[in-house]
Amino acid sequence: MTAPSNPTLRLQYRQLYQNSLRYSLLGTCLTHRPALWNQVRKSHTAITADPVPLRKQLKDEARRKKAEKKASPKSSKTLDPRLSRWELTVGLEIHAELNTACKLFSPAATSLNAEPNSHVALFDAAFPGTQPQFQKATLIPALRAALAFGCEVQRKSSWDRKHYFYQDQPNGYQITQYYEPFARGGTLTLTQLDGIETSDCPEVTVGIKQIQLEQDTAKTILQPPSTYLLDFNRVGTPLIEIITLPQIHSPTTASACVRKIQSLLRAVDACVVGMEMGGLRCDVNVSVRERGTTAEGLSEYAGVKGLGTRTEIKNLSSFKAVENAILAERDRQIAVLESGGEIEGETRGWTIGQTETVRLRGKEGEVDYRYMPDPDLGPLIIGQDLVDHLKDTLPMLPDETAERVVNEYGISAKDARTLISLDDGDRLEYTEAVVETVMQRLASLPEKQSFDKVGKVVADWVLHELGGLLTTAGVPWETQTVTPERLADIIVHLQTNQITGNTAKKLLAHYASLQPVAEAAIPSVSKIIDTSGLRLVPLTEGEYIEMAQKVMAENPDMVKAVREKGQKGKIMWFVGQMMRRGEEGRVEAEKARSYVERLLEV
Amino acid sequence: MLSARFCWRNASRSCQVYRNSHSIPQQLNSIVHDGRTEPGKSTDAPGSLSGKTVAVKDNIVTKDLPTTAASRILTGYVSSFDATVVQLLRQHGAIISAKTNLDEFGMGSHSQHSHAGAVLSPFSRGGVPLSPGGSSGGSAVAVATGQCWAALGTDTGGSVRLPAAYTGIVGFKPSYGLVSRRGVIQYANSLDTQDPTSLSATVRERLGHKGADAKRLRIGVPIEYNIDELSPVVRATYLRTLKALQNAGHILQPVSLPTTQQALSAYYVLAPAEASSNLAKYDGIRYGYRTPGSDASPKNNSPLYASTRGEGFGEEVQRRILLGAYTLSSEAIDNYFIQAQKVRRLVQRDFDKVFAQPNPLLDRQTGAHGDDGGVEVLLTPTAPTLPPTIEEVKQQSPVESYMNDVFTVPASLAGLPAISVPVRINGKEADGLEGTDVHDVGMQLVGQFGNDELVLQAAEVVVQSLTSS
Repeated sequence: MTAPSNPTLRLQYRQLYQNSLRYSLLGTCLTHRPALWNQVRKSHTAITADPVPLRKQLKDEARRKKAEKKASPKSSKTLDPRLSRWELTVGLEIHAELNTACKLFSPAATSLNAEPNSHVALFDAAFPGTQPQFQKATLIPALRAALAFGCEVQRKSSWDRKHYFYQDQPNGYQITQYYEPFARGGTLTLTQLDGIETSDCPEVTVGIKQIQLEQDTAKTILQPPSTYLLDFNRVGTPLIEIITLPQIHSPTTASACVRKIQSLLRAVDACVVGMEMGGLRCDVNVSVRERGTTAEGLSEYAGVKGLGTRTEIKNLSSFKAVENAILAERDRQIAVLESGGEIEGETRGWTIGQTETVRLRGKEGEVDYRYMPDPDLGPLIIGQDLVDHLKDTLPMLPDETAERVVNEYGISAKDARTLISLDDGDRLEYTEAVVETVMQRLASLPEKQSFDKVGKVVADWVLHELGGLLTTAGVPWETQTVTPERLADIIVHLQTNQITGNTAKKLLAHYASLQPVAEAAIPSVSKIIDTSGLRLVPLTEGEYIEMAQKVMAENPDMVKAVREKGQKGKIMWFVGQMMRRGEEGRVEAEKARSYVERLLEV
Repeated sequence: MLSARFCWRNASRSCQVYRNSHSIPQQLNSIVHDGRTEPGKSTDAPGSLSGKTVAVKDNIVTKDLPTTAASRILTGYVSSFDATVVQLLRQHGAIISAKTNLDEFGMGSHSQHSHAGAVLSPFSRGGVPLSPGGSSGGSAVAVATGQCWAALGTDTGGSVRLPAAYTGIVGFKPSYGLVSRRGVIQYANSLDTQDPTSLSATVRERLGHKGADAKRLRIGVPIEYNIDELSPVVRATYLRTLKALQNAGHILQPVSLPTTQQALSAYYVLAPAEASSNLAKYDGIRYGYRTPGSDASPKNNSPLYASTRGEGFGEEVQRRILLGAYTLSSEAIDNYFIQAQKVRRLVQRDFDKVFAQPNPLLDRQTGAHGDDGGVEVLLTPTAPTLPPTIEEVKQQSPVESYMNDVFTVPASLAGLPAISVPVRINGKEADGLEGTDVHDVGMQLVGQFGNDELVLQAAEVVVQSLTSS
């Protein structure tokens, strides 16, 4: 980052600063409580005897989707013929704010929207004679992140200063881990469900080169035309920088990778503020090379050989921006190369809504960061006991959770992902509670019941029926009033043909609309069914035949069409008519169909 | 740099020296902010230092007096907290009497590079004032002229020991890390001192055992310090001191510190590199001097803060920032900064090989000699010559002026405790010396890391041996 080339800077920090600088007295850092479903997961450690491998299921789903895509030709937006000649390569550098109570090198509190300059220690504002004090607790979320990507935590790492002049950096340098990062060598596997490019299916693995700890900068607020206000609350907030290997070959997959990194960081509680709130920012390195060329004469990065010259696009702040910027830069580089030009290693910028990246500075304009080991800070020594402890207590990762849920409950992989991503895992926990209850109730019934579809049915009800009701009513998940027991009751009644689907929906709507009252005051599902006469009483054979005959008598043309022209499809029309005429929920489609077929002699 | 304590044990004697000289303190420019004129100050706080006046080098922050580090860039700066060393002094009843002049940010060997003007020694030669040494020249002159009971300096590469030697007083630099650096304005932190509580328990435990008897010291005489540039008077005083010690029953032992020659070069790579980093914070935004008008000059397309920093820093500071920025640049770092760090490690290893006591900072016991081989302290001159006059200093190139630190820098690179004690020039040695000239030569004692107490005892031994002989 360098100063904008020529603006007149009138930094009015002093006024802002004098009245509002306070020192945080927070002596210790606290980590946030793990999400609910993480706390629960220990009760689900059993592995089913014969699990359907998640990979296989994912592959099947990918195949199905592929077929669907072929059927609908509307998604042809990126089928550029030039791509058969040129291959794109992308590496990512992701900066994520750690979920910590205090800053990396001062006890001042971290904050998101606090009053400007209200959380600034003297060291954060670079006052003479102040020194960094490493806050150990910031290590916990950083290590969780490293473990989530399977990185090797380094016993010894160290701190370096990265120098550049800019008003958002009071010390004139950022403390980072340039020479010796605390974690190296992880991987991240992406599947169709993560939204990768079709050509990357069924899965693609991206290497994580390293993860390093570093400080965030101040917020600069431009007051047009030329005044910059500085808010130092963010100065020194701990960040991790995650550097991937250049192993991504599509813009869609790159953006899916960023999305997945964010969800992983959330899952292990390492970072809670998402990209939309500025908690995550991304730089991308983009290059293209002609397919089939040898590594000779081409660039190399971290052991990955045969790359074209890369450009770096800085500071992308949304998933869409990542995808679009890479797409635009890929096309620009291909155009340059096809017209016989050369790619210059340079830094480029991207503005949302644009179609082209813009050159910011070339190699000669590159800042020399003059990295130097920080003489104020000793090496960071991380004990294996801490790493082991965090490894043992690491929340299950989204992919693992999905696999478990799919195997244990037969919920589809897609629904499992959706459930995991909602309400910090609370939705999944709820679903599991419902499934458990439904299975117990069914098992206690005298007749033998099928459990095959319970998981899928429950997931449908939680996601679509209950989810739909809440969305329509604008009720947030945390305040909804349907307990898992109630929903399980409704589903058991439905599964055992005691009520119709419609009745079940109405019951659910009833419970969802209740104001929170004492549990005992709420009538049970079976009580409502009985008092409101909702229990399904099956039609007798005579009643079915009588109804079918009536419909046939009223519609001789349709009867003719079936009997004489053999239009068997029309049978279902008769079924539909019967369903409509019958008392709500009493006509069962399958039975109605068999009687119609018998009477029509087909 | 940072907090090396100036321990002026022989202050009263030095005051007498001053009475024989002809300058008046006010003209020597040793004080930049006088605290005693401030009204409402308690002068009789209880404690072991009750009523004692202590002057503090102006790169150590104080709440009640401005702290400028003798730089225009810190014009009018008043710290919101006291440095830990100042807090401790006040707690023990000392009166912080003044802030003393220095080379800007501690960068210099003669206290001539100050925004507050050059410091003059109370001694002179041919009517021209001598160099008081630097960078803690103001503190040294304040003690030598009796303006205070003692003074704090800071020692990055000799900044306490050299002025002590040049003004005939005692100057002590503790082990790196023994005294807190909090509140000391950074110059080259890796060469300065830190709070002892930051040392690991193991190191502190190892610091515990002394194992040396000050009555019969094994004193190392490094052969590499016997250089051609050693002036006759310094050589003669040095030899007489060694002889006196031997006569008093101490054992002299020649030792070799082969990396000594490279140490100075390494120091002048490392210190400016750290300085260029530490001084990056002075941008005129939050405190201190700021250029009038815009600081991203549209006139000549100069980078951010160029005007503020160009106007705020003096020539020597700018020279070292540029030097440091270069040696850290991606094209030069391998040839300069990295090499210098390696030299630094070799210097430390040299010392570890000659000391009887192992270095408590190292897990592996490197080359400790045990009973027959190792020495307890090293004795060398503090500087190769008597102080030059300030006119001679002006004629020197920057590199020539860096030469003054040749004997003090190795102990700084290794973080070892070192003290400079004045030895009176005697009889024939004083031939040709004017009455106004300084009549002491600084002798330096260096001990193994953590042996600060032994180094102080050895200094007493030197003084006693010379008195009795």
